[in-house]
Amino acid sequence: MVLLQPDPFLNELTSMFEKSTENGSVWVTFKRSSMKSKLQRDKLGEDALEYRCLVRASTIKKTISTSISAKDQQRFQASYATVLKAHMHALKKRERKDKKKAAEVNKKQEKAPKKSGTSTKVTA
Amino acid sequence: MVYISSWDEFAERSIQLFRADPQSSRYAMKYRHCDGKLVLKVTDNRESLKFKTDQAQDAKKMEKLNNIFFTLMVRGPDADITEVTGKEQAETQVTKKGRGRKQ
Repeated sequence: MVLLQPDPFLNELTSMFEKSTENGSVWVTFKRSSMKSKLQRDKLGEDALEYRCLVRASTIKKTISTSISAKDQQRFQASYATVLKAHMHALKKRERKDKKKAAEVNKKQEKAPKKSGTSTKVTA
Repeated sequence: MVYISSWDEFAERSIQLFRADPQSSRYAMKYRHCDGKLVLKVTDNRESLKFKTDQAQDAKKMEKLNNIFFTLMVRGPDADITEVTGKEQAETQVTKKGRGRKQ
């Protein structure tokens, strides 16, 4: 597993989303971690540990990870939200029963023949 | 293991679960583009809470939960999460961007 800096991680995550559009899933896991082994943890004692948020992303072929400190958190969570928003467009909008594609086609058709209502009413 | 159907219940219980044992809890999400499905999971290796959806509006709620978990995991399980929302976070981020003269 590769430990990346936050920005390269987001780039890589973007490409993982792009590669798994046809089939497959993307997993993203958050975990509170001190990034130390159990042995080191016992040696240092609970108080000396500095906790960060370990973020892993994986597809069937690849796993990447990054570690987020308090300093990076705000920036990372905003960019992470942007990446998700950009790629999670297969989800359905509102309680529409038909598939998203069908919904989109309908929308376009509804929009096109809209009348410019007010100007037509001229009383003779 | 059963899926929880109510978002609010899932969010509340998953935060409780994490706070009870921050060391061994994790928060995972799975997104399948081809099926248009999103699954969220929080587990401490003993109990596991899952939430499944295909609705875009739930992805927005998830964004807020993401931010809550980021805060809890970076700042500790006792961190204050009452003010954590997507928008406020984004705003504070902009103000912090100034290139301070720290020398």
